Amino acid sequence: MSHYRERAAKEIREERPSATVTPIMRKLVADSRNMLARGPQDARERASAARAYAVDHLEELHAQLKANFERRGIGYHRASTAEEAVATMTRLLGDAKRVAKSKSMVGEEIGLTHALRAAGMDILETDIGEYIVDIEGRGPSHITAPALHLNRTRIRELLARTGADLPDDDPTRLSQYVRDVVGEFFRDCDAGITGANAVIASSGRVVAVENEGNVSLGVSHPKLHIIITGIEKVVADEAAALAVLQVLAANATAQPLTSFTHFLGDPLPGQERHVVFVDHGRSRIAADPRYREVLKCIRCSACMNGCPVYRSAGGLSYGSPYMGPIGAVVSPLLWRDGRFADLPFASSLCGRCTESCPVEIPLHRMLLDLRADAVAQHLVADRKERLAWKAWALAFGGATRARAASAFARVGLRGAGRAIRPPGPTRDDPRLLPEPGKPHNEELLIKAADRRDELPVIAPAEILPDSLPGRFAHRAGQLGVAVVEELEPREGDRVVHATAAIASTGSVLLSGDAALKRPLLAASRVVVHVDPATIVEYPAGLASYLGDGECLLLTGASRTADIEKVIVRGIHGAAEMVVVLARPTS
Amino acid sequence: MARIALFDPCYMNTLRPGDAANAVHVLEALGDEVTLLDGRCCGQPAFNSGFRNEARSVGREALKAGRPFEAVVVTSGSCTSMVRHYLPMLYDGPRRLAAGQIAERFVDFPTYVGTHPKLDSVIFQLEGTVAVHDACHTRRELGSSHHVLALLERVEGLEVRRLAHEEECCGFGGSFSVKLPEVSVAMMTSKLDDVALSGARVITSADYSCLAHLQAGADGIGLQMEGWSLPEVLARALE
Repeated sequence: MSHYRERAAKEIREERPSATVTPIMRKLVADSRNMLARGPQDARERASAARAYAVDHLEELHAQLKANFERRGIGYHRASTAEEAVATMTRLLGDAKRVAKSKSMVGEEIGLTHALRAAGMDILETDIGEYIVDIEGRGPSHITAPALHLNRTRIRELLARTGADLPDDDPTRLSQYVRDVVGEFFRDCDAGITGANAVIASSGRVVAVENEGNVSLGVSHPKLHIIITGIEKVVADEAAALAVLQVLAANATAQPLTSFTHFLGDPLPGQERHVVFVDHGRSRIAADPRYREVLKCIRCSACMNGCPVYRSAGGLSYGSPYMGPIGAVVSPLLWRDGRFADLPFASSLCGRCTESCPVEIPLHRMLLDLRADAVAQHLVADRKERLAWKAWALAFGGATRARAASAFARVGLRGAGRAIRPPGPTRDDPRLLPEPGKPHNEELLIKAADRRDELPVIAPAEILPDSLPGRFAHRAGQLGVAVVEELEPREGDRVVHATAAIASTGSVLLSGDAALKRPLLAASRVVVHVDPATIVEYPAGLASYLGDGECLLLTGASRTADIEKVIVRGIHGAAEMVVVLARPTS
Repeated sequence: MARIALFDPCYMNTLRPGDAANAVHVLEALGDEVTLLDGRCCGQPAFNSGFRNEARSVGREALKAGRPFEAVVVTSGSCTSMVRHYLPMLYDGPRRLAAGQIAERFVDFPTYVGTHPKLDSVIFQLEGTVAVHDACHTRRELGSSHHVLALLERVEGLEVRRLAHEEECCGFGGSFSVKLPEVSVAMMTSKLDDVALSGARVITSADYSCLAHLQAGADGIGLQMEGWSLPEVLARALE
């Protein structure tokens, strides 16, 4: 049994997660909503349909994928249990000693970092947030912002434990310190492990999104690159992958797209690439009509960002790598031994998770079904509670008895009964049971004070330029990208030509040699030439430009927001990006 | 004149005995003939706790009682959503269909009154200020929050204040408030902050259960606040 209540009570008493998390999440949810309002209008339906198709055709898509991996020379591996996954990873890593790992929820799920360290490998978490929580040793508290529960002071203390001597706790300084440690590690490492956000069956390409550039390093620097992901991450084709991307970052971080969106094709010359697909109960979930839709999840975190329970007790209270409403649903489904059977009860059933899910998973209804399962399997509710419900059913099984029960309860709630509080381990519960039928005081209606709260200001509708290039320049400008018609070259520039660009997100698409990560990351400034004729309105319009090879979508400069959600630009990679928007002269 | 029933939820009967009279008063002002159904429970407490057999046996009484009426008006959003969306799910085959046909007649008070053909013939008048708590079941399961606001805005002399962060749950959640008291209290505290900042001393909602919970918290921490059900506000506005 996972004892959610004990952990939540302790977190609330000792850490007050809400004080840190609630203001950040309120802003994130509002910003996400504005980002999604940019459209397209059918983004949610498209994403949901793309994921539903994948879940309904898992094996068929995997067969197609396997053939495409063979064509590209990418190793296809499948592990049915967590143990098998760890064994496969260990075998593939062979005699690799220094391994750079980027963020992977499946990695957390199977305890990968711990297992590989136990096998004697030197594993470095290269995502800034993961690096920090790795020092703390309590695990991530959020699926996209692992160090959300830590403020800058705590992070500075944690870094000091590893020998960092930092003069202050400025988030830029802290982020850059970790960046330098990670950059140094990449100079000499044997293997890179990364995750995946989608794996495209029709072309055998792997889609991975990131902001910092550590994934760019992980997929391109080491000679051995291993991707670990869940079997459900497969999608039918490029259009499906783009449908997922259209809602992923907007919900996760309120960005139009993440700074880097990789479409990984053939391994680089001299590089070995493998993908390990972890099942760990997913096939069983896919076979259960009540829960199969949970496999549509794209791990965007929208459900936890809006969740009042998550905000109040924090992510660590769940005791699972997956927290929030999705964690409360998926944890008991993945681990069938009952250890997370109480998580579905960690919800007031307000339904906000279902409302915000961009792939339309009926999360709160699944929580209800999982509660019934846990009771039926005797994983929760002791004998006392079971008897109490039987007695309750008897009392409310007829109107006369029910009226008597209500009258009895009223007597209990009056007088002495009011002072009795529900017994609990703490005395922090201030609630005083209300006195039944207490007359109301009409004078209170006219005793209202002035409002002192700040109601959300509705931003005036944005006026967008009429032309597609105008809209592209506008959005790119919002990301800090300079858009010009001509440019004086500078030393250290990396000059590339975009295959296409997206107006709604201000992104540029690089293909083939232009998408090579090493020269891009080494540049002090990235200069991208965009032909206005190749601009599409939304990511969905990009499918025909993606070709079959390596592609990279750049959306603003490399950045992180892992420390208190403060944005720091220029992590691994150029802080500056310029777009030259002009028709090609030839 | 419609022959309808008023379903007085079990917890209302316990916590606000007599509140049903407020709802009846409003419905009769609209010209309806109202039969009071009390002493029944929709089964939600057991259902939300995972005890579905118990929920079905108790909920059956609610469906049986509602069968003779063309509409059963319920003064609680969460009970309405339990009957409409979940009770039929607890039956299989043709019985699910039959249960669904009765369940569809259950309608929440704000939707019924807000779409009543004779609504324009009634004048509501009440001096003062109320804040509105947008209950989750009314907002998300039923989608009838706009009826609550529209009804309150009909009341002449009444200033209606919406709460900041109105989309956030108050932390009640039925058995949730008992099983996870620490989390529930943390959520409630956040909501009470918004209530206090609104400046209103009276707060109303389509779900009195949320209000009872907020009342318990306000009484405990010494915040001057009273939770009035929506029927109570409207009934007083009729006098």
